[in-house]
Formats: sequence, structure tokens, C-alpha cells
Amino acid sequence: MDLWQITWFTVACASGATAIVLPPGVAVAWALARRRFTGRTLVETLVSLPLVMPPVATGLILLMLLSRRGAIGRILESAGIEVVFTWKAVVLAMAVMGLPLLVRTARAGFSISLPLAWPSIVAGAVLAFARALGEFGATIIVAGSIPGATRTLAVAIYSYTETGQDRQAGVLLVASASIAFLALWYANRLAERRPA
Amino acid sequence: MFATLLAIWLAFACAPQNAPERPAITVSAAVSLTTALTAIAQEYARAGSGTIRFNFAASNVLARQIVNGAPVDLFISADAAQMDVVARAGLLREQSRVNLLTNQLAVVVPNDRQRTFASINDLAGQAYRRIAIGDPQAVPAGVYAKQYLEREGLWSAIEPRVVPSASVRAALVAVESGAADAAIVYRTDARVSTRASVAWVVAADRGPRIVYPAAIVRTSTEPAESQRFIDFLRSAAGARVFERFGFGSAR
Repeated sequence: MDLWQITWFTVACASGATAIVLPPGVAVAWALARRRFTGRTLVETLVSLPLVMPPVATGLILLMLLSRRGAIGRILESAGIEVVFTWKAVVLAMAVMGLPLLVRTARAGFSISLPLAWPSIVAGAVLAFARALGEFGATIIVAGSIPGATRTLAVAIYSYTETGQDRQAGVLLVASASIAFLALWYANRLAERRPA
Repeated sequence: MFATLLAIWLAFACAPQNAPERPAITVSAAVSLTTALTAIAQEYARAGSGTIRFNFAASNVLARQIVNGAPVDLFISADAAQMDVVARAGLLREQSRVNLLTNQLAVVVPNDRQRTFASINDLAGQAYRRIAIGDPQAVPAGVYAKQYLEREGLWSAIEPRVVPSASVRAALVAVESGAADAAIVYRTDARVSTRASVAWVVAADRGPRIVYPAAIVRTSTEPAESQRFIDFLRSAAGARVFERFGFGSAR
């Protein structure tokens, strides 16, 4: 079994997703904490939406936008870029699902004072990373479960379980739980260091 | 907020419920049967014969649910292998097991890229970069598709382009949404799709023998009702509906 390939691929995609959402996420968090503008509540609601929507529904929206017939997919296809069923779709699904956690956590830091925002930003990024690691619903829809190409830890666990390969699923379960534990433990340590 | 939730809950909890004359049974059935069985169950209920609750999924998923203790009365699988998984766990009423239906494979392509294959070898062409099939590790439609491609000597050429799907309907949806360039599904799935068209039908003598077995689960609390439903599925009325959706009778 490709334990290392799957684990490495998942961590790499989650890191990529976190890197992508960091700049816009921090900007939005700062704006929400420090600015009063029209449509503020709307922005806040939209950003948080993936947190409460069924991930499968989020995946479906991404698929409808990005497939060959979708509004964005059509443009991408003419540029020769494929997203659906590739690693790009994995990263995108992870980014969308991780964004709310980053924004909400970083925002709390900005509302205290600027120099103290750092731990919150890092904690938010770690949370987004941890959420990305476990992303399943949107990924399976928009990226599928292609061995060696789009199979992340979460998706592989599901696929192995469904096809009766319990031992493989068990090994990946331990890997996934360990990484998630480390990420969350780190985020919590950072949060504790923040002055109350 | 709490009051609102309470009100909604009460509205549902206290809604009048008509007691069914006959106990409902739970049928776990291969997802490829969704359309046909739903139609048959409507007929069954209209005739006052009883209520059927369906749980549709890939047969390998259903088999694992039953093995893990899911309260199911009747299991209809898309292949013998998954029925055997339940049998090996000692969870079938073996004497109730019958072969119900037959089916055929078909290759579908998106409607806006409609074409007809001259032979299955066309599927190995460059235009088909992503080919969705049920996960060939366990999903019956994928297992059948792999067997067929192996027999045609095409599996090694096509395997790198395979998108394994969680069920045969998921493979169909991949083509319908334009995410995959082609899919190997059952002919019956192709028939109910409006956004995918058939490029190739696998002749019955070229493809694997596709048989849907049905059996009552040993832990069923309604074995008699389950047997009645099996009998109805095998009756002339049941066969008519299956035939309408493109299934063959296994007898």
C-alpha cells in the first residue's frame, strides 16, 4: 500500500491549500475586525458558509463551476487547464473548506491589537491546515478517488473501507489521526499563549 | 430560538401518521436498480401489498453494512461476489437466494460529444483521457468492466486513465457533468440518463455474465413480507417493469 505516497500527497495538498488561503484570508479577517463597511455581514456569512454547508454540496458547487461545462471550467478548458479529477481540485476543495477557520480565528486576534495578531493568524492557519487534512466530502466530488493522483488520506480511508480492505484503512487511520493530533495540539498551544 | 425549534419538532412529532396495514420492509438494493425498483415499489404499494423502504448504494457498500449489523430485510446485489460476502458472514437465509435479473455493460459519453464506437478499441483512443468506472476493487459494475476490458486486451492501456467511482451511478454522473470523457456503466443506467449517450453496448456473449441475486437477510424481522416482495419481483407484473427499464430476467 502507498502509505507514504498518500500521506505525503495529503500533507502537501493541505500545505498548498493553507498557503493559498493565507493572504486573502488574513486580509478578510483584518477587514472584518477593523473596518466597518457595507456588506460586512454578507462577507462574513459567505466566508463562513463552507463551515456549515454539507461538504458534499460545496463539492457539487465546485464541480458545477469547474467541469468542462461549468462557467469557470469552460474558460479553463480553452486555456488547456484541467482541474476536476486532478490534484488542483484537491487543493481547491481543501482551501475552500479551510478558509472559514482561518478567517474566524485570525479575526479574533485582529480585534485585540495588531502586534498580538500573529499567534491568532498562525493558529488559524494551523486549524485551516488540519481541516484541509481531513477534507472529504468536497474532495470526493470534485477530485474523485484516483489512486496515485487524487487519493488523500480521508478519501483513501473511505475507498479502502468500502472495498473491504480494512487493514489498509486502519493503517491510514492511524496516520491521519496522528497528523491531526499534532496540528491541533500545536494550534491549541499557540492559542493558550495568547493573552486572555 | 429554542421555542421555534421546539415548535418545529412538535409539529413533526405530532403529525398524524397513518398506520400501515402491513409492516414495511427494508430493502438494500444495488444502486443500478434505483429507478426500476422505485417504480415497482410504487405499484406494490398502490396494490396495497405493502411499503418498501429502500437503501440504494453500491452492492459492496450494502454488503458491508449488512455484515456490520445494518437492519436489512432483503438484499439485492449486482453481483454474486457481494452476495457471497454476506453469505460467508452467515447472514443469509440461503434457501431464499435466487438469481433475479441480468444486465449488460455499455460505454457512455457526454451528450455534447456524442459518437458511436466502431469497436471497443475506440475507447483506448486519445480523446478518452478520463474513463469513469465503478471501483474495480469491489463495485460490481467496475469489477465487470475490468473483466470485460481484460478479455478484450484493453485493460493495461485503459487502467491509467480510470477514475474509480464509488458506484456505477457515480461513474455515470462523472460523464454527465463533463468531468469524465467516458464511463462504463450498465445499459440500464445509460437508458435513464438524459445527459449521457450510449457509444457502445457490450454484446451479451462478449461481456461478463451479469446477474443480480436477491436473498433475505437472516436477521430480518419480516421474512414473510420479504418473501412476498421477492415473489412480486419475479411475477409477470414485476418482470414487465424490469423489462421496461432494460433488465433481463435471470430465469
